[in-house]
Amino acid sequence: MTTYQFFTTAWTWNSIVLILSALAFVGYFLAFGQRGRLLYFAAAVVVFLLAFISPFSALANGYLFSAHMVQHILLVLIVPALLLLSLPWSFSLRPSLTYFSHPLVGWVAGVGAMWLWHAPTLCNAAATSRTVSAIQTTSLILMGSMFWWQVLAPREEQRLSPLAGIVYLFSACTACSVLGIILTFAPVSICPVYQHPVDRLGMLSTIRGDWGLTSNRDQQIGGLLMWVPMCAIYVTAILAQLARWHSGSAPQTEESNA
Amino acid sequence: MNGTTTIAEFRDAVLDPAKRAHYRLAWLSTVDHKRIAVLYMLTALVFFIIGGVEALFMRLQLAVPNNHFLQPDTFNQLFTMHGTTMIFLVVMPVVFGLANYVLPLQIGARDMAFPRLNAFGFWCVPFGGILLHFSVLAGGAPAVGWFSYAPLSETPYSSSPGVDYWAVALFVLGIGSISFAINTIATVISLRGPGMTMRRLPLFTWINFVNAFIIIFALPVLNAGLAMILIDRLLQGHFFLPFRGGSPVLWQHVFWAFGHPEVYIMALPAFAMVSEIIPVFSRKPIFGYEFVAASSVAIAVLSLGVWGHHMFTVGMGRPLDVFFAISSMLIAIPTGVKVLNWTATMLGGRIRFDVPMLCCIAFLIQFLVAGLTGISHASVALDWQTKNSYFLVAHFHFVAVGAIVFAVLGAIQYWFPKMTGRMMSESLGRWTFWLMVIGFNMTFVIQHFLGLLGMPRRVFTYPDLPNWGWMNMLSTAGVFFMSASALILVWNLATSFFRGKIAGDNPWDAWTLEWATTSPPPHENFIALPPIRSRRPLWDIANPDRPDPVVGEVSAAVALPDHNKVGILSFILSETGFFGALILAYLYFYARPGAGPGPKELDVPRTLVFSVCLFASSFTFWRSEMALHKQKRGSTLGWLALTIVLGAVFLGGQANEYWKLFQSGVDLSTNMFSTTFFTLTGFHGLHVLLGLITLLIFLWLGWEGDSVSSKFDSAFKAAGYYWHFVDVVWVFVLLTVYILPLVR
Repeated sequence: MTTYQFFTTAWTWNSIVLILSALAFVGYFLAFGQRGRLLYFAAAVVVFLLAFISPFSALANGYLFSAHMVQHILLVLIVPALLLLSLPWSFSLRPSLTYFSHPLVGWVAGVGAMWLWHAPTLCNAAATSRTVSAIQTTSLILMGSMFWWQVLAPREEQRLSPLAGIVYLFSACTACSVLGIILTFAPVSICPVYQHPVDRLGMLSTIRGDWGLTSNRDQQIGGLLMWVPMCAIYVTAILAQLARWHSGSAPQTEESNA
Repeated sequence: MNGTTTIAEFRDAVLDPAKRAHYRLAWLSTVDHKRIAVLYMLTALVFFIIGGVEALFMRLQLAVPNNHFLQPDTFNQLFTMHGTTMIFLVVMPVVFGLANYVLPLQIGARDMAFPRLNAFGFWCVPFGGILLHFSVLAGGAPAVGWFSYAPLSETPYSSSPGVDYWAVALFVLGIGSISFAINTIATVISLRGPGMTMRRLPLFTWINFVNAFIIIFALPVLNAGLAMILIDRLLQGHFFLPFRGGSPVLWQHVFWAFGHPEVYIMALPAFAMVSEIIPVFSRKPIFGYEFVAASSVAIAVLSLGVWGHHMFTVGMGRPLDVFFAISSMLIAIPTGVKVLNWTATMLGGRIRFDVPMLCCIAFLIQFLVAGLTGISHASVALDWQTKNSYFLVAHFHFVAVGAIVFAVLGAIQYWFPKMTGRMMSESLGRWTFWLMVIGFNMTFVIQHFLGLLGMPRRVFTYPDLPNWGWMNMLSTAGVFFMSASALILVWNLATSFFRGKIAGDNPWDAWTLEWATTSPPPHENFIALPPIRSRRPLWDIANPDRPDPVVGEVSAAVALPDHNKVGILSFILSETGFFGALILAYLYFYARPGAGPGPKELDVPRTLVFSVCLFASSFTFWRSEMALHKQKRGSTLGWLALTIVLGAVFLGGQANEYWKLFQSGVDLSTNMFSTTFFTLTGFHGLHVLLGLITLLIFLWLGWEGDSVSSKFDSAFKAAGYYWHFVDVVWVFVLLTVYILPLVR
């Protein structure tokens, strides 16, 4: 299959994903109605859909570790951030859930989501079993939401103070960079499934040949994606914290951040 | 008393500045931040002359083709010493000195948070400098370049002790720099005067504060690398020796993981000085304070992750090249934002062209050139062509001299009146400035073209190729202008100190707090602080009818955190970097196992038992702290003693493990596993030992009855943080070294 054919045909119209997205929309309207910020929610759903029906998903599904990493980053950082931003400003957690809103819990969830799912056994299992993959997706979105809650919670008093937020984000950036560095320089495959993919779509020769992505390079790119672009997201968030800090003690009105 | 002094008497005698003032060598025993700052800068000046003479010799050798004025090996020693001296013994001490002087004054503090640590940090500089230069007497200076690439720097290729002195000297200087950074962080967080909130910090202070964090993260990585190369050279380790399984490329990663942030460690203070001077001499507040402040943070964070652009020619592979190229180019954004802010500050201002401002204008122009050639090095294809040519030499001298030295020249002229009470001569200052502009550009502009013509750096001579001769001659001629400039600077400093015009408190009509006190300031810095509501308190006083808008809440009274706590946490942060580098080096070789002993030699269950002792000691320490809190002296000391015993048992277990390994013929030099294993666990053991000594001191103090003072309480807590940290490190070492092999 050529590159062009691949990107035109490899869209996976996964019915479960589509139904879930539709249900999410309905649920969102039932819960918040007019109070919600629909644009953010729509963006979250679009990113979620892109992660699962675009050709990237086909690549992540057993072909390329780096594509898997893109999916991973979208699910743990982008989708949860957009979801939190879509919440109405009046939203607050049920008292029984405030346990999860401790900064340490959020930090461990955010960083743990990266480390845990890249343990070779789990990474392999998620790439081969649909059940594990579904668990992974759910956990990534949940853990990502717990992480971002400290920074993007709807109400000012639920968030960390800006300077504490910078420490929170920077330390998470460092912890993920370390994993990225390990993945980049590891001589062994972290997720052996991607070393010898099952060629379901007849794409392997294009990937290895035309794209020049050997399994070593593939893992390097995966590690680098976790190291550099992911940190760029954290740095953006750090700058947003600085902007919030300098915008003064006046009550918060608008916050743009992704 | 019966012949012995109590701790309280001893402390009073040693620590009270008034009681030490009679010492003849008061300047040498000083803990006053202002005197230490001056010592920093004078030391830098001495080494500036040494490093400058080294450069002069090199340029004389290169003045004409096929020259034999210097031997090749002498030339190698000269460029190594010149680079090392200028970076570690000139730029860093001088920017630390300026920050040391100005920063406490700007925030209305009486001194730095830890005055004696401050003195320690300073004395590391002459000590390190002497160690480095002692190598000349001990068999020859290092001749491996300032980044000391392996395997050239390893014993088989550099057998004289030059590299050993180089590494030890840098280790000492690194410790000094880290202690300065810890001090800066603790000072800014804990010692700000009333009303001086973090958002009201002058930019000079803010940028130096941010810079302290880069130091905290970057220098420990260098120290880890230096420890590794010293272990290779002195204990027959193999970290960077390829034929024993080591990796020379790992040295490059470690060195540049420090080396690139180091560029910003030197440049950010220069940005700080310029951000202070340009507004004052443009008679306008800085344009976009928030953008200058935030872009400094962006630069700091980005600088930690772009070191790979120093290694494009190593062959890291396409993916790494591409990502490092992109991340390196990103740094151009916050840097460009800064240049824009400085320029916009000048726009429409009533600019006074005094020497400090002239220096800043030259800084802006030359830094722009340096930045543009810098971006060209982020492009991989271009970098392949120009790396290790004179184009690169010209680039980093535009940063180091064109930007940093010019900013420092301006800053010295600007703050000299505050330090001495006398103005520097404006006319001599102009001579210094113009000669430096002419000399600097004459020397280095042409080197861009020499590099593009293909002249490599670090060659002791060159053939008589078309144009190379006159270009090099021109470059050498420029050095004489710079030398003259430096001589006039020294003359200006000396004469102005004795005969300069009396300055008064605020000769430049500046707006930050250091100008609110006398010149020079009294020992305690301020008699009384003016009210602080904005970023320009002195403007508010001078213009009560149109003060600056209040920044933040009007009455910003905040409880500042305990400086002991901030200090020890900063220290722990730096140690995290050190152990992080060691653990990553361990993993790097763990993933590439060689023949010989491996993790299977380790007795995991036994180690787990001893680990439990160490972890339990964290608990017992916590109990001791609780007892102290409840004022139960006996119980405090009991739990503390138990903590010490548990720590000692752990160390005993480690010693036993080492002994068994030695018995079975495994020592540090056996293979890669043993090298990394003994290095990592050895450094952890050393930290446990230091912790034990600290706890023993507290036990002794408590025994003597000192446990009642509040000072004891805070210091005890700080020691506790350190002790818990040592245990946390062991969690990671245990997981990496002992548990990881089991789960695979």
